[in-house]
Amino acid sequence: MQPIARFSEAGIDRAAASRDCWPGGTLEAWQGTSAPLPARVWWPEDEEQVAAVLRAASEAGIPVVTAGAGSGVCGGARAIEGCWVLDTKAMARIGPLDPERWTVRVQAGVNGQQLEDWLAECGFTLGHSPSSIACSTVGGWAAARSAGQFSSRYGVFEDMVLGAVAVSPGGGVVRVGEGGEGSDADLAMLLGSEGTLAVITELELRVWPAPQRRWLRGYRMPDLPTAITAMRTLMQGDLHPSVVRLYDPVDTRIGGKTRPKREHSAGSSSFVRRWLRRVDELPAVHRRTLALPLALPGLLNRVFDGIASGCLLVVGWEGDEDVVGALSAEGARLLDALGEDLGAEPGERWFASRHAVSYKLMPIFERGGFADTMEVACRWSDLERTYDAVREAVSPTAVVMAHMSHVYPEGGSIYFSFAGRGDRKVYERTWDAALRAVLDSGATTTHHHGVGSLKARAASEEVGPAVAGWRAAKATMDPAGVLAPGRLFVDVAPHDPPASPPPAPEDGLGTGAVGADLEVRAEGGEPRWPVATLPGLPRWQRESWQQPWIGVEGLVGGRPCRLGRGPRSAAGPDLRPWLAEHGATTASWGIATHGERWMGEARVEHPMRVARDLLRADLRPAALGLRDGALVVGFRGPAAKRLAVLASDRVPGGLTEVPWRMLPVPDGPLEPCPDDDPAACHATASTAFRPVGRTA
Amino acid sequence: MSAWDTCRVCPRLCRDGCPVATGSAREAAVPTWIATTLHGWQAGTVSAEDAAASATLCTDCGACQEHCHLHRPVPELLRDARRQLVPAPAMTPLRGVDGAAQVVAVCADERDLAAVLESRLGQPVARLRTDDALGVAAIEHPSFDARASELRDRLAGRVVAVVDGGVARALVGARVAFRWAWDLVGDPAPDMVGSCATGGPRPLACCGAAGPLRRHHPEDAARVARLFAQRGDVERVADACCGEHLGWAGVSVRDWLDEALEALA
Ligand SMILES: Cc1cc2nc3c(=O)[nH]c(=O)nc-3n(C[C@H](O)[C@H](O)[C@H](O)COP(=O)(O)OP(=O)(O)OC[C@H]3O[C@@H](n4cnc5c(N)ncnc54)[C@H](O)[C@@H]3O)c2cc1C
Repeated sequence: MQPIARFSEAGIDRAAASRDCWPGGTLEAWQGTSAPLPARVWWPEDEEQVAAVLRAASEAGIPVVTAGAGSGVCGGARAIEGCWVLDTKAMARIGPLDPERWTVRVQAGVNGQQLEDWLAECGFTLGHSPSSIACSTVGGWAAARSAGQFSSRYGVFEDMVLGAVAVSPGGGVVRVGEGGEGSDADLAMLLGSEGTLAVITELELRVWPAPQRRWLRGYRMPDLPTAITAMRTLMQGDLHPSVVRLYDPVDTRIGGKTRPKREHSAGSSSFVRRWLRRVDELPAVHRRTLALPLALPGLLNRVFDGIASGCLLVVGWEGDEDVVGALSAEGARLLDALGEDLGAEPGERWFASRHAVSYKLMPIFERGGFADTMEVACRWSDLERTYDAVREAVSPTAVVMAHMSHVYPEGGSIYFSFAGRGDRKVYERTWDAALRAVLDSGATTTHHHGVGSLKARAASEEVGPAVAGWRAAKATMDPAGVLAPGRLFVDVAPHDPPASPPPAPEDGLGTGAVGADLEVRAEGGEPRWPVATLPGLPRWQRESWQQPWIGVEGLVGGRPCRLGRGPRSAAGPDLRPWLAEHGATTASWGIATHGERWMGEARVEHPMRVARDLLRADLRPAALGLRDGALVVGFRGPAAKRLAVLASDRVPGGLTEVPWRMLPVPDGPLEPCPDDDPAACHATASTAFRPVGRTA
Repeated sequence: MSAWDTCRVCPRLCRDGCPVATGSAREAAVPTWIATTLHGWQAGTVSAEDAAASATLCTDCGACQEHCHLHRPVPELLRDARRQLVPAPAMTPLRGVDGAAQVVAVCADERDLAAVLESRLGQPVARLRTDDALGVAAIEHPSFDARASELRDRLAGRVVAVVDGGVARALVGARVAFRWAWDLVGDPAPDMVGSCATGGPRPLACCGAAGPLRRHHPEDAARVARLFAQRGDVERVADACCGEHLGWAGVSVRDWLDEALEALA
């Protein structure tokens, strides 16, 4: 009989599927302990084969762990003893690309770098560039809600997903997203579900033409608070940088990041460096080089604190030539007032070696230590507190430093790197202390690495009673409970979230009752991207910067629940749409804090086609829509007037200035339509939409 | 310290370069995992049989080396491991050069490369046929050093023309200078999908049907070739070795020599 899909029970295949890149597993392997072995590895090639494997597993009650490229760092793709590993990499078809709609279809097992190379040959980019791009799959990006280095320009991975095909044991093959069955909440439930609800087999993704221009600069900032102010001002000023990376004083100092490159190889320091490298190469010394510093992490952290001051901020813009010119000019003006311009070199250097960080942890393991990273996120007003709390918690067992590489108008993510010495127990103690500090400071425990098994307890505590949303989905999609049991969310003692202080002015957040209409909500400040009802437009009908909601709070089963601790969290699926319908009482949303505004309108023959062209030219207006048959375009922030000139040049007959007035964005349900449809009411880069049921 | 230590703790950063890992979808084929398996064999925790199955998941295309920012000599280490783990394939004795002309056409199949060169260059061309395509099998063979020195003797002072990447690699290994036949006659071959040996645009570093993979894991070799064909939308290849491998895997393509012979006829 033909097997339902290709599989292997060979020792080398089972061993290779036993662990992912969770550093705890690497530490174990290095110290000679093996990981749990699967009984079988499957390589299905399409959704029918996936469905057959899942059916067989459900019938036999065999746990299934879905594995992409195994680059996950939280143990999500680590095998469970005796399980089946469903390896997605035989689902490797790339294309077709739709150069008109700017979309590409791709099977889940495709390697990220290979997709990017293929798109580059066609003149496009996905714009998703995690450090692990060479060693991860698109399915893994979707399942673990990855974020790439240009997230403030192209969005995080789920912003790129227009639709998905997924297979669950309970539901069979489903198509969600644009043109598929199911709602935005279904797509939201799938993205970030880390193989616990379904196997993602195919994705439709938004792509962009390769950027015409890239502008990169480094700035030396006197201290962390000033650097944070700089980042916040850029993001709240609607300047849409592609890259914003801040290295903390320790990282800046250790990496010598604000010194010009040539000093690295100059005279004595290069001699010392060469000499040290030679000493390090002696076998007996090699393993001990880091032993002393890593054995005294508390002391080392204090020494670093003493010598470190000043930090490096790398900022960049990319995309349309003219738009990059306008935005970078305003951005540079703003940054010059706060820090010292170090020129293009630090930025170019970062860009050239942007994936090099992936190679930095190996030497620490080779020398008998452990190293790991933790990426948390919170509002601007919580950043410094969270940073201090985590450093203090980790300090007794590991040397710690941090950078920030994902920022939003409402806050950002802190990426901690830590290295210590000791066995699994010391490693676990370090993590427990770190996660406790994050939870207590009100931040989210993961910005983009996901949960896996490493953070399952912490994420369950963070999500609290909203976990019921995921459980309900699990009961229908995986009734036999075979998909990744014990991963993502687990039973934990009820733990109410820490009291949520009202947002500080710098957070740029408005709060109010769920259900309040737009006018009422606007009393606290103009919403950055207005929608009338929660959860707002589905993802495939808006662009990455059009974030309707940040936080949603309420009561679930009588227990308080708070989602959206940071501007973005990868603690499982985005459960805010679920909470919106199951007990949400209050919500928070971004409000426009910057005073400068410009609005213009034009009566053109094909308003939606023009609107789409503006979006495609990277203009990212704060307001874009139809009012009384006229196309309305508005910009906010210091670059508003410059962008208005560029926009006007692209509108037939130009834009005529009108008084600024908030433009409500229509609520769903909408359906895609040709972009010259006169009834169209909303445009994205890939298509125009009209309210369902209305005809042209 | 083991030669494989760095690879063992690496997050498999060479995976996107490896045609075998990509085309077979087997995690075990990622060079990092091969390294882990071979480390286990050296440490006595993995059987020689498994180590051999692992070390032969390789076309010796060198892409892992190219992708390794830590500059680990992975292909070389794998070649060493294979020498210890798998018996060398049989090799036929090297033939003599047929003719005394200055230009020698070295070919791995029966097609008459020399005739094409004679007509295009307007001068006599000598022939050297190598039945076993030299290739990586030759390079890994224990007798390669002796064969390399024979090759150097036979081809000394001549202009060596090739169309086959396998032959080219063996000549590089033997330190014999050569010219691609299309370059020699002034033909452009850039619109043809390239191979690892010839460079040019390529969907994967190799179609996979080369070297130890085809001998030890023929089904995986065919899978890699099919993905190569799908990704590259391949109809023409420059390199005769690629043409032969893809043909073996059931993907019909034409190579430069096919077209040159057709033009000659
Ligand atoms: C050196 C290094 C650097 C990294 N840098 C970044 C970074 O910059 N940004 C970032 O976001 N992440 C980063 N990561 C983490 C990791 O690359 C991401 O989490 C990535 O999304 C994982 O993809 P993968 O294909 O390797 O998935 P895996 O590790 O194989 O799986 C991850 C999780 O998703 C599930 N899964 C995988 N595929 C599917 C599918 N098709 N259907 C359902 N479930 C599935 C698995 O079961 C598992 O729970 C880094 C990791 C490393 C090792």
